[in-house]
Amino acid sequence: MIDKTLNWFDDRLGTAKGGRSFLDKIFPDHWSFMLGEIALYSFIILLGTGVFLTLYYVPSAHEIVYHGSYVPLRGQNVSEAYGSTVGLSFDVRSGLLMRQAHHWAADIFLGAIAVHMARVFFTGAFRKPREFNWIVGVIMLILGILNGFLGYSLPDDLVSGTGIRIAFSIVESIPVVGSYLAFFLFGGNFPGSGVIIPRFYVIHVLIIPAILVGLLAAHLGLLIKQKHTQFPGKGRTEKNVVGSPMFPNFIAKTTGFLFMSFAVIFLLGGFAQINAIWQFGQYQPFQISYAVQPDWYMGWLDGAARIMPAWEWVGWGHTIPLEIFLPAVIFPGLIFNILIVWPFIESIWTKDHEYHNLLDRPRDRPKRTAAGAAMLTLLFGVFFASSTDVMANFFQLPLMDVLWFFRFFVPLAPIVAYFLTFKICNEMRVAEGIGKRKRALIVERSTEGEYTTTEAPVRPGDGHEEIDAIPVPTFIDTTDPSLATAAGVRRVIR
Amino acid sequence: MDDPHLQPLAKNPKRMEAIAALSMVVGMAGFVAFIFAYWVNASTQWEALTLGIGMAGLGAGTIAWGKYLMPPGPFVEERHDFHSTDDERTAMNAAITGRGGIEVKRRKMLLGIFAVGGGIMTLALLIPGVRSLGPKPAKSEDTQGSTEDSLFTTNWKKGSKLVTVGGRPVKVDDLDVGGVLTVFPQGFEGSSPDQVILLRLADLGPNDPPYPLSSPGRTEWGVQGYVAYSKLCTHLGCPVGLYQQKTQQLVCPCHQSIFDVNAGCIPQFGPAPRPLPQLPITVDPTGQMRANGSFDQAVGPGFWERP
Amino acid sequence: MARISRRSIAARMAAPTALVGAVAIFGLVAFSSGPAQADTTTTTTASTATTPAPVAVDPTTVATPPGDVTATTDTTSTTGPTPTPYGVGATAGSPGAQPGSVQAEPSAVTALPSAEATAKAAAPSNQGGIYYPALPAAYIAPGQALFAANCSSCHGAEANGKDGVAPNLQRLGAGTVDFWVSTGRMPLANTSAQAIRKPPRFNRTQTLQIAAWVQSLTPGEGTQIPLVKTSGADLEQGNTLFTLNCAACHTISGAGDALMEGAYAPSLHLATTTQIVEAIRSGPGNMPHFGVGNIPNSEARDITAYVTEVLQHPNNSGGVGLGGIGPVGEGFVGLLIGVGLLMLVCFWIGDRS
Repeated sequence: MIDKTLNWFDDRLGTAKGGRSFLDKIFPDHWSFMLGEIALYSFIILLGTGVFLTLYYVPSAHEIVYHGSYVPLRGQNVSEAYGSTVGLSFDVRSGLLMRQAHHWAADIFLGAIAVHMARVFFTGAFRKPREFNWIVGVIMLILGILNGFLGYSLPDDLVSGTGIRIAFSIVESIPVVGSYLAFFLFGGNFPGSGVIIPRFYVIHVLIIPAILVGLLAAHLGLLIKQKHTQFPGKGRTEKNVVGSPMFPNFIAKTTGFLFMSFAVIFLLGGFAQINAIWQFGQYQPFQISYAVQPDWYMGWLDGAARIMPAWEWVGWGHTIPLEIFLPAVIFPGLIFNILIVWPFIESIWTKDHEYHNLLDRPRDRPKRTAAGAAMLTLLFGVFFASSTDVMANFFQLPLMDVLWFFRFFVPLAPIVAYFLTFKICNEMRVAEGIGKRKRALIVERSTEGEYTTTEAPVRPGDGHEEIDAIPVPTFIDTTDPSLATAAGVRRVIR
Repeated sequence: MDDPHLQPLAKNPKRMEAIAALSMVVGMAGFVAFIFAYWVNASTQWEALTLGIGMAGLGAGTIAWGKYLMPPGPFVEERHDFHSTDDERTAMNAAITGRGGIEVKRRKMLLGIFAVGGGIMTLALLIPGVRSLGPKPAKSEDTQGSTEDSLFTTNWKKGSKLVTVGGRPVKVDDLDVGGVLTVFPQGFEGSSPDQVILLRLADLGPNDPPYPLSSPGRTEWGVQGYVAYSKLCTHLGCPVGLYQQKTQQLVCPCHQSIFDVNAGCIPQFGPAPRPLPQLPITVDPTGQMRANGSFDQAVGPGFWERP
Repeated sequence: MARISRRSIAARMAAPTALVGAVAIFGLVAFSSGPAQADTTTTTTASTATTPAPVAVDPTTVATPPGDVTATTDTTSTTGPTPTPYGVGATAGSPGAQPGSVQAEPSAVTALPSAEATAKAAAPSNQGGIYYPALPAAYIAPGQALFAANCSSCHGAEANGKDGVAPNLQRLGAGTVDFWVSTGRMPLANTSAQAIRKPPRFNRTQTLQIAAWVQSLTPGEGTQIPLVKTSGADLEQGNTLFTLNCAACHTISGAGDALMEGAYAPSLHLATTTQIVEAIRSGPGNMPHFGVGNIPNSEARDITAYVTEVLQHPNNSGGVGLGGIGPVGEGFVGLLIGVGLLMLVCFWIGDRS
């Protein structure tokens, strides 16, 4: 029956030839190669829960009177966007779970991208021939951040409305065209003519997801075409891939991982409250709450804006608000551009134009590792600077001291991190046996009083009793020898 | 079947199979429990717990199956060169440079016109795509007029009544010393560019000398110990709603810019580059507080056209 | 792929076990705190329903050290759900108190009318749901003794302050005194930093006695001690007013946050109705003064109701409230628990060599 179906498809699509090699595709088994899958599966949740949310959310700034089940808001004038988001949280069954799972999935999606990207960077997986996939990944990161911000803005609550206000001011700060862009985007001066919520909505649910799906297909297609990188090891060369086959091992493990990702996100979605917009209230442009931060993936931009000195440039009848433009436009632009061109910078710098399918250990590339550590330090510095007030309150420190600390930490710490990492890498390279589990020494005293020292036997699991890898066999559970003649097919002897 | 590549990793495959099966059955039970939880309209926590158990159980069982019971290998696959052979490259390049090149050399004019035409088409399509989005910002630096299409204007004018967001007119004895109130020009309650923060710094009567705590030359802009400033932060336009009455500071909760209330709201610290614009205010004979003019500059964050 | 040797199944299952354990603990934490009130530690409902028995205050036992106050705890009797004067027995004694610990709270003043009784009598002091009953004249003398023993070293025997040490308390009114003493901020523990909320030194009666004496120096002036009847308040109005007037410092969830110059806006999660109105009217520390011309009594009552009924018992239907500090807490949970747990799963599924 299965044979018949498969043949039916092969008659029409020729699936047997390509399909066989697809099923035999080898994926290396190192745990760090699964980080990208977290992002992939969070994205699937984002799509699924997102569709659920669109059925109830109303993208409109039109004012209505709230009559839902959350008492402190009853009778208040709210926008349809806000009212429907509170409504889908309280008056749609499972709505709150879906909404919170959607939000957690977004936070985890971008967190997983960041971790995955760090793995790719520090192991040199972006090198030739995988520059394209690196660039596709960076673009997906940028779009993911942007879409996260747009989604965060849609409920039109006090905290997200403050974010939209800031977004208006950032666009406005661009020299020459800023005020035009801001007016076009918002349909006038802030808060605009009520068009921003529907516009953000269509970008959030249609345009960016469509691009992301396309880029994701390209990302995975390139991975399949170029095959996965692997760490060096026994039998692993630049010319092969060693690991588990796509079918059935990888499919089983990755499907299980898909469910585990769903489990973590839905458990968070039901047990950790996120973005309780009913507590924040409808956004009004003259209201503000303290301790307002964007979601974590925008925190680095918020932090950069906080520690920026007040350098406004004024002259010749014009103003360039550098205190906004530098941290909010130039800084992220610079970071993303460095990320995009990094593979080319490195290959020019090292004059290395070879193919690389084997990965580096980070310590073996001290300069790259140090540069990455410096970049991470910089980004974490500005990221933490966005919670200066919360930190000052939590640790009971004077807020100004915390702000001043970050004003120095952010520019200086990356330099320290660079040299420190460089030194650590170099020391790890010369030291023997680093990264391997220590073997105990057994000291014995002979009857004559003589001491001898021997190493304890290798613990089970530590020894690399690796066996040679073989091509994926195909077995036919049959006694008919004629069937075993097809290409690469072995007969199972039972 | 004694090939080590094909033997499961699990020492006791039967037992591992049972564990995986149990895990999946727990998962199934979780999903059934979820349906029940939905049926009885249980809380979000019950829904998440049942769904989470279902997914984790099914997932863990599947992973255990894949990791411990399936042939573990290691298996190997050869890589193939990505690039084509030299002959194929030459043929491809020739197709572009040769075939195309001849045509381009012959019909240079057509190509030029095509390129320009394509450019114009892009522009033609972009114009409605961008320009229809919203109004152009008004160039005028006149501080009067509609606030919807200008960054320079507000609805404050000489004689505007100060009212609360609820529309209650503000009288001169409404605020205690150390009091703070968000006010709007009457008829524009809740409008973003018009928001003003009204502070009472001293308990002065109509005949007392003006309170000196404003920038030099602007002592007359306050009245009877009251001063009024735009509530829009000059950094990113958040409402500067945090008033520290004892230290006499207005603070922006977004990025912690500090404005010195005792010195015309000049920025003391933080990223805000300019003082909060001050609104001149006065009191009419009935005790109603009114604007004594408009702002002398654009309110809110900086932008290119701002002089 | 590294062919790691076949370790025991138990060892292999360590990672998933740890994972499931972590999820279970997380779940337990979420459930135990409950959806309705996840991150506040106060439980006011039980104690507000009690009418504490009067405690004879001996003017000779002036300063009651915190340890001794516990002796009065057992005098509290439950006689029915009568609202308590001045919110006595509410959270005034609970700041920092651990659940289960002995409440150093006390006593009270049945001599004073309850909010209900005042409402029925339609006393002239009824202003938009806030009542200002007079303090008994008998409190003045013991109050003076308490003040002389505990407060006068800084504030002076006549409560007129000392330059550079302590402010003049005359003309501030009983409400201001009650706020500072009942929140435990006075007597001050550390003169250099902003006064912190701590278990009050004095029981309710003693606090009112001190307030009565300070008030008697300048009768009728300053902030009076309010009794707030929140039952008819407009929560929607309170929500709007809180967001406009309070959230800029205390945050939208009432969690509080750090201010400039080492100051901070305290959390409102322990404040009583009386203390909230006293703070609105008297503007302690860096807080602005909101007079009746700015926030009328009915609006002050709406704000108070919103704080005590909504912010102190937030609707955390979505799970653990994560401290009510917004995306900072959420980011930590998302990255450490969310991404962290899934990385552990990766660690289980994949090879580690």
